[in-house]
Amino acid sequence: MRIAISVVQAVLLLLLAPLVRGVISRIKARMQNRRGASVLRPYQELLKLFRKEDLVPATASMVFRLVPPLVFSATLVATLFVPVLHDSALLGMSGDFILLVAFLAISRFFLMLGGMDGGSAFGGMGASREALVSTLAEAPLLLGLVAVLIFTHTTSLSTAAHWELLQGFSQITAVQALALVALAIVAIAETGRIPVDNPTTHLELTMIHEAMILEYSGPSLALLEWASALKLTLISALLIGLFAPWGMAAGMSLVAVSIGLLAFLLKLGAIVVAIALLESGMAKLRMYLVPDFLGVAMALGILAIFFAGMTR
Amino acid sequence: MGLVEFAAAKALASSAAFLFTTLLLMAAAKRISTCVVLFAVQCAVITAEILAIAYVQRSGEVLAVAILVLIVKVIAIPYALMWIVKDIKAAGEVQSSTTPAQSVFITAGLILLAFFAVQPYARSLRVDMNMLAAAIALLLTGAFLMVSRKKALMQVVGLLVLENGIFLAALITTFGMPLIIEIGIAFELLMGVLLMGIFVFRIRDTFEHLDVSKLRSLRG
Amino acid sequence: MAMTLLLPMLIPLLGTALVLLCRPARLATQVAVAVGVGELLAIANLVRNLHRAASGVLTSPYFRADHLTAFFLVNIAIVFALVLIYSIGYLRHIPEGRFSSPRWFYALLFLSLFTMVAVYLAGNLGLMWIFVEATTLATALLVGFYNTKGAVEAGWKYLIVCTVGIAFALFGTIALYLAAVRSGVPQEAALDWTTLMAAAPRFGGSADLVKVAFVFVTVGYGTKIGFVPMHSWLPDAHAEAPSPISAMLSGVLLNCAFYALLRFESITTRAIGSGFPHMLLLIFGGLSVIVAALLMVVQRDLKRLLAYSSIEHMGLIAIGVGLGSVLGLYGALLHAFNHSIAKCLLFFTAGNVRENFATLRMDKIHGMARSLPWTSGALVLGSLAIVGMPPFGLFISEFMILMASFGAGRYEIAILVLVSLSVVFGALLYHFQAMLGGEETTRPAHSGLLGTEFAVISMCVVSLLLLGLRVPNALTNLLHLAMGVLQ
Repeated sequence: MRIAISVVQAVLLLLLAPLVRGVISRIKARMQNRRGASVLRPYQELLKLFRKEDLVPATASMVFRLVPPLVFSATLVATLFVPVLHDSALLGMSGDFILLVAFLAISRFFLMLGGMDGGSAFGGMGASREALVSTLAEAPLLLGLVAVLIFTHTTSLSTAAHWELLQGFSQITAVQALALVALAIVAIAETGRIPVDNPTTHLELTMIHEAMILEYSGPSLALLEWASALKLTLISALLIGLFAPWGMAAGMSLVAVSIGLLAFLLKLGAIVVAIALLESGMAKLRMYLVPDFLGVAMALGILAIFFAGMTR
Repeated sequence: MGLVEFAAAKALASSAAFLFTTLLLMAAAKRISTCVVLFAVQCAVITAEILAIAYVQRSGEVLAVAILVLIVKVIAIPYALMWIVKDIKAAGEVQSSTTPAQSVFITAGLILLAFFAVQPYARSLRVDMNMLAAAIALLLTGAFLMVSRKKALMQVVGLLVLENGIFLAALITTFGMPLIIEIGIAFELLMGVLLMGIFVFRIRDTFEHLDVSKLRSLRG
Repeated sequence: MAMTLLLPMLIPLLGTALVLLCRPARLATQVAVAVGVGELLAIANLVRNLHRAASGVLTSPYFRADHLTAFFLVNIAIVFALVLIYSIGYLRHIPEGRFSSPRWFYALLFLSLFTMVAVYLAGNLGLMWIFVEATTLATALLVGFYNTKGAVEAGWKYLIVCTVGIAFALFGTIALYLAAVRSGVPQEAALDWTTLMAAAPRFGGSADLVKVAFVFVTVGYGTKIGFVPMHSWLPDAHAEAPSPISAMLSGVLLNCAFYALLRFESITTRAIGSGFPHMLLLIFGGLSVIVAALLMVVQRDLKRLLAYSSIEHMGLIAIGVGLGSVLGLYGALLHAFNHSIAKCLLFFTAGNVRENFATLRMDKIHGMARSLPWTSGALVLGSLAIVGMPPFGLFISEFMILMASFGAGRYEIAILVLVSLSVVFGALLYHFQAMLGGEETTRPAHSGLLGTEFAVISMCVVSLLLLGLRVPNALTNLLHLAMGVLQ
């Protein structure tokens, strides 16, 4: 039963990911007074790309061909660590947050390799920028996660969500607020949204993520785009699970799981709206200001850990 | 407990966290008007604390102090400051000698320092350690803002935050000083801000800029 | 009874309002003089009533007057009278501006007087704090009166630095209040000085809190007094203000802040013994004395030189109190009195120099002895007085402080003081000799001292001589009674 729920969870995230992208674009378009494309457009994109031909640059090596499936599967496996509908993930175990971060890092690492292997100058540029941003984002990510885990007296993300479910609303403190802001900043950096990176830009010199996948086409590009959308949904689910898990199913009954599904969709909707508003309201930061931005996340992460240690 | 009372109790218990948040946001802020709004929020949090104390002690005097603080610090002083910011159009941006991230780091460090400084005293004084640490953190951050910000108005905001910290420390340790003293202090603060406003205008008129780091002709 | 206490405060307040109503300058001056005379009479009345009162204390809710108050009120009365007379002539030279007219000058002057007299008369520590802060606010506009770049910068620095300092003093006041409440003093009376003095021996349980309170109060009020290292505002403010205001700032305002510190020191000594507070006073005093003396050597502006001299003398007064003996305290209080008169003399002379040469840069003025003989004479007499030469009054008070340091076995303090005095003597000699001797570089604008200025300067010289040759009995009595209050 547990495996069934977890498989449903993973498939749900996989299928929801393009919709999340679509809704964000639609809301942003509406805020800019345009009508915007349909929210199902990303699905149409993926289908179109799967039907197209896969072109590989003449100078590319084996790595270039390996990267898309590798990145996709790494991100998919990462979703198995996060509690979404039910407060225990399939691969939830003691210390699973490190594995989560590791899988995300693997996918990012191979993405960077693929970007450089494509042979274009922009690929290398994107890879080096991504290296900078991810290095600086790693520390606040771990600090924020560890702060929450210290606070909930556990070492597993699923158990943390379970603990928070049990406490109800009575345990909202400064630790969670600080960790939330730190992780939100990291989320923006990891998923490549404004103000760190513009996912809809066509100017190569302003790209970070887009630059690395510039040379891909056809099914490979589809897999990479899907993986990127999946990463966004995954991190949103992580934030929801850690900071607002109410409504998640504690038991295994169908009713509880359905309520959990509904609650998750509502909260995901709220996050999507928040992302759209943030992206419409802020301008992208210039590259030399991004370390500053992530430094704020680092300071907040340190403060969160300190408070977590103190309130034990 | 009703939901409203529960929410109020929760909000009060985390008022220290609110104060820390305003401090961190003030350190990272890029516009003076943002800082003024954050200062007003800080004073509002402190007013809520005073109201809670008045409710618990059923004291009319403390309620009067709460109303006084509300009028002077939450409404009058921020309004005066915003008026000055609007009148001097060049004063929009906070010019700092540290980047936002560095400021947030330093402020976080000061908050940690405040906690360490307060630990031996909190138990003996029988007060909530979080709030006392918040008061000391306000003091230290106010001093930091005064030193690192180059615009004259930001020095005034830093000074006000510093005084806020002292006022909060007084509040939680003594639960209110005699009313006439409180009135005097509040009046003083208002007069002080008005006077500083006059001087800001004079600085702008004689120097044509508001960068106090450039006021260095008198030295030695 | 209450009227006797309140009158010295109400008259300046009334005076502010009255003077502001007088548009023509002559009327404003006449009203100012009338108010000044009224104030002098009110203070005299208070001192006389105090002497007649059996317990030597006059009280009313929130305000009180004892002999220490009377001593300082006499001080402020004398200095204020001198400043007012000098201002009448000096104001002709202030450029007319929207807020630079004589009526604004007198209005702000009386407002500052009100706040300073209120500090002396406050019986409640919280009220005293409020009025000390009020003195900063009232005098800030006077410091920036000329509205030049230097004046505005000095006024801004003064306002900010002193407000921060006084905020620290508030922290200290609250800490003392807390210590009192924890020792059982009822909350409404825990800021009242008399109650605190009586209850102080019971504060031993909160000794840490009392120590923290005194440190913050010393740093806080010490900023206003001008202790090093919180003195950064003082040279700027005293130099850029109009000369009569500089005289008032150096003469009375510093004494005012010191009075506040004295009140706290007496409570603290009763609570935790004299070791800690006196050590703190000696440290700040010693630091101020030596740093100010050394900085005096490199000054180029006359009034900044005089301002550093004020810092040095306030350090000396702090040392006198910090030594702890009766002789030291007596010397300190007498020195506060003498110094205010001597500083007035020097600043009035400096004002005259500015009138005549339009600059206060000592390296630009030469040959003063020939072009302005009376002013030079005043300058020489003033510098002799301020350095502590007999037969002027400062010699007696400085000698007492030195004797006290020898008597307490504090030879290092004595050596520090002697070294600083020598450095000051050398600095003044060097600077003034350059100004007085040499070729005349610029012709002075006027021929010398005005009538009022001459009168005031001679009054200063005469009083200093009187204080040096034979301190008047009335003053000695007053001093003894004042010291009795503190012990």
